[in-house]
Amino acid sequence: MDELTFRRTIYADPNTQDPAVIEAAKQDPSKQAFWNDTKALDAQITAATKVPVPDDLVEKLLLKQSFEDRERSVNKRPWYIALAASVALAAVLSFNLIGLNPSTGLASDVFAHVDHAYMEKEIMMSAGNVDMQSVNAKLASFNGAITGDFGEVVSANYCYLDKIKSLHLIIKGENGLVNMFVIPKSLTESIQESFSNAALIGTSFLLESAKIIIVGEDRAEVNKVQQNAINSITFSG
Amino acid sequence: MFSRKKKQAASVSSDMMKKQKRYEALVKGLHADVYRYALWLIKDKAIAEDVVQETFLRAWKSIDSLNDEAAAKSWLITILRRENARRFERKQFDLVDIDDVAVADPNDINDMVLEHRELRKIMSSLSEEYREPLMLQIIMGFTGDEIAEQLNLNKNTVMTRLFRARNQIKDALLAKQDMGATING
Repeated sequence: MDELTFRRTIYADPNTQDPAVIEAAKQDPSKQAFWNDTKALDAQITAATKVPVPDDLVEKLLLKQSFEDRERSVNKRPWYIALAASVALAAVLSFNLIGLNPSTGLASDVFAHVDHAYMEKEIMMSAGNVDMQSVNAKLASFNGAITGDFGEVVSANYCYLDKIKSLHLIIKGENGLVNMFVIPKSLTESIQESFSNAALIGTSFLLESAKIIIVGEDRAEVNKVQQNAINSITFSG
Repeated sequence: MFSRKKKQAASVSSDMMKKQKRYEALVKGLHADVYRYALWLIKDKAIAEDVVQETFLRAWKSIDSLNDEAAAKSWLITILRRENARRFERKQFDLVDIDDVAVADPNDINDMVLEHRELRKIMSSLSEEYREPLMLQIIMGFTGDEIAEQLNLNKNTVMTRLFRARNQIKDALLAKQDMGATING
């Protein structure tokens, strides 16, 4: 293989598997050296292409799609799905009406945020692992800080609960996930100290300058997270 | 009758879940490559991000037409290139104030981090006909055949452009070296 063809082939694709190229390089050390140089250059080019990706891009791409989805569900779904949805909604509403613990607007928003599909999405955004530093960075906007051993946080995202900006933490408990919401005390509307629906139980309490809401499937688990929060989080100002 | 309606709602929502899972996997797995490719193609962070958002929105709408996850990369790039082309159509036909037109900032790519700066400058100064196939090969990992199909060129032309792209980068680096500038990898 002549020099020019060799160089052209390598430059066009430094990872070429062309047997003629491999053979030519074997027989001529200067060709092999050229190949190595080109691979090194390519490694540099590859590294140079790795520009930083905006932190919130994944979040935006997932959110935009869910907005789109909501619009579509309003506009384009055929009538019988709307009917099926209203049947489901009616079932949920009547369940709530005859339920023992009627929930307030805030509480029902809380339940909406701890839906399995929703939680999965949130955990996905955080890639299932959040370090204390970034939890603290987000808590800081509520003047809060974790000082002690709080447990494993798998997701920390801002959420809107009935138009109030809150921080939604998902915490790994012993028997499943527990949700904790942080809201500024000044903005909380009334939410019952203890509330529940068929599957979940929740508790809310004041912690210095913040209102904390904890929701989970298991009462003992919820109480434990509440204790941990009281022991290891401080809110100032 | 009551239970039948419920069943329907349930199966619709499980289809939605499946669709959402596929979409989320796509976003998680490919957003970084797709964004980087868009940035190198467009050379403006804000526009690149917009185009990526439009691309994924279209992907979401038509995800049912993607039968083979292995083809997802080329599928997304095809959508992205079409979205990017639409940008120029719009520009051409809309009468806009000059202030409204986003002007590409050549520093967007170069100044992001100091290392690789020289190389980035050279890469972004390549003309688009060379830069695009090179980025498809390097960022997206496309073969010569895949690039040819994507750009609607024949394979020989693609290989020649890839060769020239690297040749120009090498020449530019050597020229810098001759001037006594240091090159950082």
